Order: sequence, then structure tokens, then C-alpha cells
Amino acid sequence: MRAVVKNRIGTFHPQGFLDGTNVPMLLSLEDIQATEKLDIDMLLVSLKKVIFFNKNGLDVFVKLLSDIRSKLHIVIGFCDYDTKKYLAISKFYEDDLNFSLFRTQKIAMLFAATNSESSKKVLVYHQEASQRSSIAIELFDNGHHPVIAQSQQEFEEKKQLSENFDVIVEETFLGLFGQKIATRVRGNAIIYSVSNYLDAEISDSFNIAYHNNSLNVGFRLFIFDAYKVVSMNIHAFNFFAKLASAAAEYNATLCFVGLTFEKTPQSFKNDLEDSGIMFFDKMEAILEDKALLEELGGSSAAVVKGQRTLNKVLVNELPRFIDATVSTIEMMTNAKASKEGASVQDISVDSESKHIASSIGFYGDIDGMVALSFPHNIAKKTCELLLGEATDSEEEILDALAEFVNIIGGRVKALLLEKNINVTITLPRTYTSIDALLQVVEGKKGVQVDLNFDGEKFIFFLTR
Amino acid sequence: MATKLTLEIIIMVTTNDITTYIAQIPPAPEVLKQTLVFINQGELSKAAKCAEADKALHVYLKTLVNKPVYGFKNEVSELSQIFGILGTSGAQQVLYNYMLTLLSPDKWELFKLNESLFFELQAQLNHQWKRILRHCNIDNKDIESAITLLPASIIVCEALFKSHRDEVMLLRSVKAIDYNTILRRLSGMDLFDICQIIAKKWEMPQTITAIVQSASGRTSDDVTIDRLGRWMHLLLFYEFSQAAYMEAGLNDFLEFHIDYAEPVYEEFMSLMEIQ
Repeated sequence: MRAVVKNRIGTFHPQGFLDGTNVPMLLSLEDIQATEKLDIDMLLVSLKKVIFFNKNGLDVFVKLLSDIRSKLHIVIGFCDYDTKKYLAISKFYEDDLNFSLFRTQKIAMLFAATNSESSKKVLVYHQEASQRSSIAIELFDNGHHPVIAQSQQEFEEKKQLSENFDVIVEETFLGLFGQKIATRVRGNAIIYSVSNYLDAEISDSFNIAYHNNSLNVGFRLFIFDAYKVVSMNIHAFNFFAKLASAAAEYNATLCFVGLTFEKTPQSFKNDLEDSGIMFFDKMEAILEDKALLEELGGSSAAVVKGQRTLNKVLVNELPRFIDATVSTIEMMTNAKASKEGASVQDISVDSESKHIASSIGFYGDIDGMVALSFPHNIAKKTCELLLGEATDSEEEILDALAEFVNIIGGRVKALLLEKNINVTITLPRTYTSIDALLQVVEGKKGVQVDLNFDGEKFIFFLTR
Repeated sequence: MATKLTLEIIIMVTTNDITTYIAQIPPAPEVLKQTLVFINQGELSKAAKCAEADKALHVYLKTLVNKPVYGFKNEVSELSQIFGILGTSGAQQVLYNYMLTLLSPDKWELFKLNESLFFELQAQLNHQWKRILRHCNIDNKDIESAITLLPASIIVCEALFKSHRDEVMLLRSVKAIDYNTILRRLSGMDLFDICQIIAKKWEMPQTITAIVQSASGRTSDDVTIDRLGRWMHLLLFYEFSQAAYMEAGLNDFLEFHIDYAEPVYEEFMSLMEIQ
């Protein structure tokens, strides 16, 4: 059994009855090795389709998850359970609950270190005060607005007014947490939450690959939410200075928000300012000031300066990218998709129908980005296999489109590997309109391939 | 996996594949059909005589009744004896099981199964289904035989998907989706619809297909059929959760509908003595 990966969360989906004799059979050595290679922030076991489990069965999963946690430094746990299952797990691991429990996968996503979720108003309750606080802190770090109910009665009362909250978090437990720096995307800015004492460990907990890739795909504003930082030492200072010089190459801006200098040398601030890092007292000072946001590069993800062009290596690999796209569409629809024409140009969408789009970046031996723009109905048809029952919900269609480009990304990665070209793929992004995609790729030269599927044109665009 | 992906156009299971597969399913052999007629008439000695014409069936039945579960000290080899031991319900069930083995692949590729493991699965399902029917006070030959059609879904899945393993893996890397759902979304037909066609081709009683359809998680208008379907759905996942079948990859070829099985769960757990 392999983990399904979505938004950097890997999830196993076992079914039926789980005990100590059958769970080891679910996970072969190859499955475990494949899991260890995943680029994820969280690894979970969904109990949604498990009707019975005992402690021996869960122990096997806990051991596997713990081994992987010690290697990848990620959050591990179980999700998708009801009250009965939650109570059973809590009882089994009464004194030894060092993994996390998320009542639903949707709740788990609120806690993922890297998330692109919009800010949510969250009602939180846990019978233990320390858990209530931990949950609220993590949610806050991830850019959400937690409201803590201090008692069961208060929780029940607030729950009645569910329309006041986007999500209700109950029967959720945070085990060992906070090993990675929480990262969230707000519009075209990336916000990292840092806390406590910043020292040499920051280079382990900061996802540098994700940061570099964000630069590559066009993000220009990076904000360190540092309200909870007590102090930083010279190692952390050096780390940020290096980040600043790398950001300068891309004309990107690094900011600190809320950092105080009571226990951190004032000279650090001066030196970091010299290397281009900016300091603000409050997050709102940046995010709510449109003019400043534009100046800092957070109003658009388009490359401002130092635009990188297509190179020979990338163009040579173009047929692989197109084949991966075409054959994935054919695989998922059993219908023919054909190539109509290709040219090096700025992206151009000449269609009256409403388009939605998705993109996926890749970096490593080569780097770039593939964007696909579809008429709405073709996107829906293309994703029918993932969508299931007919739906008109844009959110569901965009979600399926993200899964679709993820498959393409996976295939591109496998195809390139055959030529000994190693790449890592990024989280997919989706765009509700062609304008949103244009914000990212406008002014970038790339290869545009017009493809035809079911008599309608859709666009493949490869750029850097 | 990487080498198999090389720039080939990958097509998933198509409706054409399904049509071709169904066309290839042979009708039930005449000997079997005639034997079943005698069994349905309660003429077990005539059934035994008729079955003698099929040597492979004779071997199959001999192997079966000499399994430890039947508890015979001396080898039972005469067909008349064997049919006597099985009785009319048991004989019908065993003949349907035998028909299914005619469809089984020589070599399993998608699932890590073999002839003996598949045989064990059939035997185990039959045994547990009998327990359930006894518990429910149901004594009906056709209902008892309904369980025999269920493993056909595994054979159909193996046949249709064995050359699409990589594509399914690719899909499953982004979405928790089972073979049955993939097939339904691609072709509008699922494994149980194909089982129904097989049952029709083999002239199996309608009750059998109705219960098996219900066991897939699809409700019918018949409360009794649906209750049996819930039991069978749960039993199927109980057996698929056995270590050998988990290892064989059977645990996730269908979607387990936990809510569907819930109404009979407590009774099932008590019957199976699971704590």
C-alpha cells in the first residue's frame, strides 16, 4: 500500500479490520522505502474505512510512522475517525500518545507546515488546557484565527453557532509537533512562522528547497512572522544573511515582522538591513498596505527582473513533457488528445470560453514550470475519473485539476529520470481564471503547445 | 516503474476491453449444467453419475472433501459419496465454485494470488457465509450459493487491470481510488455488473446476482436482499483483511462502505467472536 500525497500530506488508506497480523502485510519493504522518499510535511493513516482495529494493529503503523518521523522530521498520526475510535486510540496510548490525531483530513490540513489554505476562523476545544493552547498556537502560526472554548459547555454553546466558524476542531490531539517551520502562502507572499530561540537548527527546520523553488516560480515577497522569537544567535544571523543575498539575485524581498531586539544584538538588525532585509512591527503594515505590498513584490508573482529564459536542455526535453501531458489525459479519459501546433512565445489564450488553469513547477538538474489552461468543460471532462459523480463545484474541479497536474508532474519526473535528469516537483497551483495564470507567466517566454481534446483547444505552456 | 512509462501512449481499460472479455467467457459446460439440474431436482446419485464425465471436476471435488475441515480419516474418492456428503446446497455451491476456477488465470499478475490461495478464499467465504445464514435462520440453496459468485469480481479485476498496474499506481499516488471505482468511472460498468453478466451466462439463479449486487454496497428495493448484502459486504472485507489476502493486494480493490455494513456490525463481531 502506498500513501496518497496531497498538499504535502501523505495518507495511507487501509480498509476493513486491522490487527497485528495483517497490518505488516499492508506495507511491503518497497512501500516503506517509497514512503521514506516522499517530500511531505505530514504522514497520516486514515481510519475512515477501518471498521475494527486493536492496539497491536495500530502499533505497527505507529512504529512505521515513528521511524519515518525520525528520518524526515515530519508530523505523524491518524485521521478520519469518529468519537468511538478517538476514545479507543486515546485509551490505547493513554500515557504514550506521541503522535497526532486529527478528526478529519481537512482539520489535518490546517496544521500542515506548508499550506496554501486561506485564513480560517477555527473553533477549538480539548479537555486539556495545554492541548487547547498548543492547537491554538499551531493554528495561529499557520495563519488561522483560533477561538478557544475553555469548557465543554462553552464549546457546545459556540458549536451551535457553527456559521460563525469555518472549521470546528475537536477530538484532535497534537503529539510531537513543530519540527518544521510553518509556511503559508497568502496571495503572492510566502509567510514563514519562526519562534523561540533561532540558532543553527534553523537550517534543518527551514525548507530551503521549497524556498528556492518559490523563488524560481516567481514569488518575490517572503515574510518571517517573528512575533514569538525570543532571540537569535550568530548562526541564525548568518543563515538569514545568506537567504538575503540569494533573494537579491531574484530581486525578492525578505521581511521580518514583530521581531524585538531586547535579547538580540541591535547590530544584527543593522547588518541584516544592509543585506536587504526589512523589518516591520506588524503584519498588517505589509499585508493591508497595497502600495507597500506592490513595492515589495507581493502583489504579483510575475518575475520583475532577471527574467530567466528557456534553455536548450529544457527545450530538448519538451517532447517528454508533452507526451506526459497527452498520455495522462488519454489515460484518464480513454479519448484521444492531439497536438495542433507549437511555438516559442508569451502565453496566449484566444478563447471566448471561461478557462481555468493549473501549474506545477520542477527544480533540480533542470528547472521550470508547466502550466495548463483548459476551457471549464474540458477541465471537468479531463478530471472525471478523479472527480467521480458529476459536479459543478469549482472548488472540486480545481482540486481535481491539481491532482491531475500532480500526476503529470510525477510522470515527467519518471521520464526525466530515465535520462538521468533528477528533478523535484512542487505543489500544484490552480487558477480560477486565465488572468490569475497570466499574473504568474505574463512576460515570460515559453513554449506554447496548442492541444486538442474532444474538439476543443487547451494550452500547454512550458516556461522557466 | 520508470522504464515502463517510456513515451508510450497509455490507455486504461476501455469498454471494448470489457466487451471482449465478456465475449470470451465460455458458457457453463454441458456436463456441469446437467449435473446442476439433477442437484436442483434432489437427484444426487444421478448428479454424481453425470459429473463422472468431467475428470477435472472429479479431482476438484475429491481434493475439497478430503480437506481437514470435513474431518474424514479415510480418503473419500467416490463421486456418489462426495455428493452425499455435500448435500444439495453444498453440491450446488461447490459446482459454482468449480465453474469459477475455470475462469481463473493460470498465473495471477495483478494480485499476489495462486490457485491454492484462491481456493482457500473460496472455501473460507463459503464456510463463513454458512455460519451467517445459520445465524440468520436462513435455509435456502440459492442464497447459500450466492457467496460463490463474489470471488468472480477478483478474477474480472485481474483480467481487466493486469496490464494497467502502473497507471493505477499513478492515479493512486494522488487519490485514494479503488479498481472498481476506476472501472465504473471509465466505462459506466463495475466489476459486479460484469459478475452479473457472468451469472446470467452461466444461468445462475437471479437471487445470487441480486445478493452479490447488494454486497457491492448498492442497495436494492428488497430489504431481505439488502440485509444479506450488508452481511456479505462485511464478510468480504473481513476475509480481505486476513494477512494472506492483504499481502495479495485484495484489501483495496473494492471500496469498503463502512456505513453500509454498520447495521450488522455488532452481530457480525459477536458471531465471529471478535473482541
